[in-house]
Amino acid sequence: MEKQNYNYAIVRSFVVWSMIWGLVAVLVGVIVSFQMVEPGLNFPPYLTFGRLRPIHTNAGIYGWAVGVIFATFLYIVQRLCKTPLWSDKLAKFQLYFFNATIIASAVTLLLGYTTSKEYHEMEWPIDVMIIILWVVFGLNIIMTILKRKDEQMYISLWYMMAAIIGVAILFVVNSAAMPVSLFKSYSAYAGTNDANVEWWFGHNAVAMALTAPPLAMFYYFLPKSTGVPIYSHRLSIIAFWSLIFMYLWTGAHHLLWTPIPDWIQTLAMGFSVMLIAPSWGSVFNGYLSMNGQWHQMRENYLVKFLILGITFYGLQTLQGPMQAIRTFSAFIHYTDWVPAHIHMGTMGWVSMICFASIYFMVPRIWNREIYSIPLANLQFWLILVGQLIWSISLWVAGVLQAGMWNAMNSDGSLTYTFMETMVEMYPYWWARAFGGIIYLFGLVVFIYNLYMTVKKGEPTAVTTATAEGRV
Amino acid sequence: MDLASFVYLGVTFGLFVIFALIVIRTYNKKNKDKGEVAKYNMLDDD
Repeated sequence: MEKQNYNYAIVRSFVVWSMIWGLVAVLVGVIVSFQMVEPGLNFPPYLTFGRLRPIHTNAGIYGWAVGVIFATFLYIVQRLCKTPLWSDKLAKFQLYFFNATIIASAVTLLLGYTTSKEYHEMEWPIDVMIIILWVVFGLNIIMTILKRKDEQMYISLWYMMAAIIGVAILFVVNSAAMPVSLFKSYSAYAGTNDANVEWWFGHNAVAMALTAPPLAMFYYFLPKSTGVPIYSHRLSIIAFWSLIFMYLWTGAHHLLWTPIPDWIQTLAMGFSVMLIAPSWGSVFNGYLSMNGQWHQMRENYLVKFLILGITFYGLQTLQGPMQAIRTFSAFIHYTDWVPAHIHMGTMGWVSMICFASIYFMVPRIWNREIYSIPLANLQFWLILVGQLIWSISLWVAGVLQAGMWNAMNSDGSLTYTFMETMVEMYPYWWARAFGGIIYLFGLVVFIYNLYMTVKKGEPTAVTTATAEGRV
Repeated sequence: MDLASFVYLGVTFGLFVIFALIVIRTYNKKNKDKGEVAKYNMLDDD
């Protein structure tokens, strides 16, 4: 095979910066979890829950997840297309602009500038920066795909293109606003239309930023880690197109029992339930790819991350449609059940896949053996236990909260005051903060392991079993 | 239901037809071998 001069320097930079922003996201997450149980930890005006919470979510989505998306896409596209990046200069510009955008976002959110739209809080100048960043990134990936050596595209490339196009459409439409000053704008939509567009964006950001890219990574790194191909490429293609077809109609399930038209709510509910099929198409494809390879769950730490990750994806995509059903939504919506659902997705599914992807790439892009596989295994258990404590405690809290909110006396009055329901939440909120600390510790172990890999790891021939995750 | 809702549902149905055609094409017997080539090629990118 012709030796290609791949650009790994840019992948290395994105790996480092994504880990930095990931650490910020989890650290701020732990801080806000303590602010919930100890209000004295709020320090107005900047370090309050209201200002730190969007920094936690945006650092997690745009810093950590999108940072890993940039790193892995720039790596995978070169490998699968067997050709270097279309433009190294564009990739370098993307790196600097990415960090400038994240810093600008964090600073303005701390200063209290916000659109108040969840996951889209940044004001219009930063929206413009994000659009420039995404166009630069998308152009480089798509142009690289166009000059690929193989005619047929592997499934990861399909998911990558969907993510690039999907995020671009969602973000531009939801960004439409009328600026009235440098840091203040008003949405182009009003009332229920605004809410509908916001959750069309919000839920599909989950699809195009936190589902399609991790699936691209999973489909690439699982067979590369096990050494055997995926079970069925055709099944992956069908799952891809059905996911694309169904996902974009589901956003309105965030608005059940609200004044948006009833038929839109019903359509969103129906499509949300149908979405189980493509999601589990990928889950089964992952499981069936392990036929004859299940012993690697013991021997290969990368497989553990990847299979647990896809398992959480499967659980997430059963729980999500269940929540989208009107009757169940009426019970759990606005309770602590919902953040537990989201964190199973982010800490369990997305981050598990991101950790595995970085563990796979680092020996290859730095040409170093992983410093310590026992540390990688320790990290696996820390993030798994931390996430489970986080999610399970808040699922219990959510059910309790919903039960108390709905409890009525025989005369029709509420049994509990709102404050009484809040007091009942404290043990669960402590458990969440504790789970967050365990997860944070796992992340620190991850960063230490990779730091030591780069600093002291033995030079490696990257095709050895150890580099692929096998002991 | 007003005109806008019929357009909304019409677009949905149109996309469903496209999706159905993709399924038929992908699982057409003639494309069976071709459809699985990529999963082997991707292992050979080192």
